[in-house]
Amino acid sequence: MISKTATQHLIDKLGAANVACEKEDLLVLGYDSTPGIHHLPEVAVFPTTTEGVLAAMEIAQHEGLPIVPRGSGTGLSGGSVPVKGGMVLCLNRMNRIREIDEENLTATVEAGVVTLDLFNAVAGKGLFYPPDPGSQKISTLGGNVMEDAGGLRGLKYGVTRDYVMALECVLPDGSILTTGGKSVKDVAGYSFKDLLVGSEGTLGIITEITVKLIPPPKDKRTFLAYFNDVRTAGEAVSKIIAAKIIPSTMEIMDKATINCVEDYVKIGLPRQMAALLLIEVDGHPAMVEEEALGVKTILEQVKAAEIHVAKSAEEAGSLAAARRTALSALARVRPTTLLEDATVPRSRLAETFAEIERLTAKYGLTVGTFGHAGDGNLHPTVLCDERNSDEMHRAHAFYDDLYDQVLAWGGTVSGEHGIGLAKKEYLARQIGAGGVKVMKRIKRAFDPKGILNPGKIFVDDDPCTEAHIEEGFRVSH
Amino acid sequence: MSHTDKLGNFTSEDAPDYGDVLQCMRCGFCLPTCPTFALTGRERSSPRGRVALARAVAEQKLEFTESVREEAFFCLDCRACTTACPSGVRAGEVMEVCRSQAHQFFPPKHVGKTFRAFILQKMLTNPDLLETSMLPARLYQKLGIQWLVRHSQLLKLGPEWVAKAEGMMPELYPPLRPQLPDVVPAVGEQRGRVAFFLGCIMTLMYPEVSRQTVRALTHQGFEVVTPKEQKCCGAPHLTEGDRSTTRSLAQHNLDLFMALDVDAIVTDCAGCGAALKEYEELLEEAGKHDQLAAFRGKIKDVSEFLAEQGLRTDGLQPVEKVVTYHEPCHLCHAQGVSKQPRDLIRAIPGIDYRELNEASWCCGSAATFSLKYTGESQQILDRKLDNVKATGAELLVTANPGCHLQLAWGLKQAGMTQRVVHITELLGMATPD
Ligand SMILES: Cc1cc2nc3c(=O)[nH]c(=O)nc-3n(C[C@H](O)[C@H](O)[C@H](O)COP(=O)(O)OP(=O)(O)OC[C@H]3O[C@@H](n4cnc5c(N)ncnc54)[C@H](O)[C@@H]3O)c2cc1C
Ligand code: SF4
Ligand code: SF4
Repeated sequence: MISKTATQHLIDKLGAANVACEKEDLLVLGYDSTPGIHHLPEVAVFPTTTEGVLAAMEIAQHEGLPIVPRGSGTGLSGGSVPVKGGMVLCLNRMNRIREIDEENLTATVEAGVVTLDLFNAVAGKGLFYPPDPGSQKISTLGGNVMEDAGGLRGLKYGVTRDYVMALECVLPDGSILTTGGKSVKDVAGYSFKDLLVGSEGTLGIITEITVKLIPPPKDKRTFLAYFNDVRTAGEAVSKIIAAKIIPSTMEIMDKATINCVEDYVKIGLPRQMAALLLIEVDGHPAMVEEEALGVKTILEQVKAAEIHVAKSAEEAGSLAAARRTALSALARVRPTTLLEDATVPRSRLAETFAEIERLTAKYGLTVGTFGHAGDGNLHPTVLCDERNSDEMHRAHAFYDDLYDQVLAWGGTVSGEHGIGLAKKEYLARQIGAGGVKVMKRIKRAFDPKGILNPGKIFVDDDPCTEAHIEEGFRVSH
Repeated sequence: MSHTDKLGNFTSEDAPDYGDVLQCMRCGFCLPTCPTFALTGRERSSPRGRVALARAVAEQKLEFTESVREEAFFCLDCRACTTACPSGVRAGEVMEVCRSQAHQFFPPKHVGKTFRAFILQKMLTNPDLLETSMLPARLYQKLGIQWLVRHSQLLKLGPEWVAKAEGMMPELYPPLRPQLPDVVPAVGEQRGRVAFFLGCIMTLMYPEVSRQTVRALTHQGFEVVTPKEQKCCGAPHLTEGDRSTTRSLAQHNLDLFMALDVDAIVTDCAGCGAALKEYEELLEEAGKHDQLAAFRGKIKDVSEFLAEQGLRTDGLQPVEKVVTYHEPCHLCHAQGVSKQPRDLIRAIPGIDYRELNEASWCCGSAATFSLKYTGESQQILDRKLDNVKATGAELLVTANPGCHLQLAWGLKQAGMTQRVVHITELLGMATPD
């Protein structure tokens, strides 16, 4: 339990409105979007400045409380869940855009700025910040950096990492590390910046981020292609890439996903189709013209059932918006939505779909699959009920088998959602015991006492930090 | 799960459905649309947080505490989260049920109890009493003033707001209900026969608006029947968590209106429309599914109804105005009626229609009062008013008395010249005498 004096200290330093210790407040800061994981922290703080972050960390250290950073809690691997209790440090009130530098094409923001707010602010100045995770409406940039979030435009424009130029970060020992800068080149020493990106809040607390901006594409063309079977859709994706066309977006939804999304958006998606691809090419008008033709030709070659072109920017926008709701919409069907993040080399897409179909039948599950097909990044999602333990076991067996195959093909267990709590057992399988050892040494170099976001990424034989999905909820301490 | 089983730490009477709370996958899509989350930045005052609290009570991880009660009543019930939620979660409705729970766990203290009982069970169920009683009591409900009183501290309101509240009152005319004939015949070729559901606030505060509604309907070729015995739709009772009075009001109105031979039951109050459309769920335990479904099918907001029937534009005189439209939460979020009012406005000759940015963002309803006093809430109102200003509109159209009052007050405070009109008033301007 956190002591009364410590709580009072926090209130003195951060202001009463920025400290929460009522159970009702804490209960709702102990989850993210990962199903079945929920823990109760002892205190939650909402610093509004870097000094506030420092002060809170100092008090936590003194009290021996683990510190768990949190953005908006939309993570999909349990990264911001306080498995060992302690202090949840919420960054979402540090949400000022500090600067949009139109000469250097950069933006500098506090870690709690919402992704879409940054996108809109720079768009207002004729600039473009491409990373657009499905959760962009609410995810924070700090969370994006810590998970190295991808998005619908990842195929052509890359992921969050590709845009991070500088980070300001508070380390567990209370020092402030600034790494990177506005210069487009920088090889001074180890690249801390790159180490921090994707570190899931286990190395430091990010307080400020400088990102690269680019000019927006002048033109774009959006296709919607329907397929009678999922494998053909996978084949279309592989062929488009092989034809050396890099669309900005190439997203897939299978039949279950199409139907759930249509239930929500009601824009006339084809309920009877086995799969659809949302494809967008963008850039200079002449290039768009050429690539659009190339895409269309391939879609015809593989015999897509129907090919549509969006008539207006609004229609294209509403299709992308519809795609972004896929995961939440799938949650309509059953109480629990277990989603995975398997990523394979793109030439393996059609086979991966076949494997998903095979395993779905083998384990008698309901699965909806969607994802960033162009990145080879699929989200096979088991729709189940956490109260049914037999079903939960089958779901886990499904993922076990699937990951074996994905790894055999040279894929990864996580394309963009991170390891967090949910995928700890899979990490060692992918990178081996040696790899895990080095990672742990790096962790110790940053955080020798292990107070920052403990229990994440590495299996540490502490039953308290293992994911007990079927159990649903445990109160720590 | 049936309603009579006891769910976790809830009481067995009017408890939330467990399936409804499990449905939330905690994606947070609803967060940016929730006005109370925008005001406080507290997760527990967000739809995701509220559902999680209800789930914790259901799973016996939390008692039904004072704070759960607080969140149930702090929720504006604007339903913006329902529209935003891809998973089909209805956080506003879960909170509505929690209000009913709150009364069971925390019986109101004596004075509050008699006042509340007086307003809800006596006045609002009895139209005659309502019309002869004093104004503040009439308005206490439904306009969300009680919401504000309860949360004035949290929202850091100064004591001055009470005085300001008076400044919000529109000019009052005699109530419409006693004046309106039982049947008003159609003008021109008759297209049908409709019943008019006249809301309490409409008859009391905006009688001239509802007069235009009836006029517009008759000029569009519909005979309008207004049964005098109709009672309050029950929305204020539901908001207050008094589900049993709501049910008896609902049953009364249902029986009354189903006995009429009409094509539709039309209302010009978005709040009433939303409540009437919920009778089906509210009364479902009594059985009679066919009757309930038939009733549900007949309830139409006036713009929904006219858009469906097609506006008869011959003979309409042009209204040469620049117009924009604010969507009432209870119309767009609660009833999903969003396109129809716009189609209707565009169909009126002469109108230069401009789309309002963020048209469906809550106008702040009761929160308006606070808008002057706290930085964050000032931003919310400014946001709405800036959007209105950017359209260059002369008329700001809406379709609900709460929004009407709110927007008129906000514009006045900001020294803006736009006039707020109900959509049927706009139609009234185009309708020849
Ligand atoms: C419907 C839905 C769709 C999604 N779509 C995508 C998608 O298309 N692509 C994708 O990549 N992801 C997606 N996600 C996952 C998720 O939104 C991203 O991982 C996002 O980056 C998380 O941001 P957040 O602010 O919610 O972070 P949180 O969930 O709060 O935290 C994520 C991790 O970062 C840490 N953290 C957060 N802020 C800081 C900080 N300032 N300093 C240090 N550590 C910090 C936390 O401890 C945690 O480990 C989706 C999620 C949902 C619910
Ligand atoms: S209520 Fe809906 S939108 Fe909000 S977090 Fe839950 S599932 Fe997501
Ligand atoms: S009904 Fe309105 S106030 Fe209540 S939780 Fe939903 S969005 Fe928030």
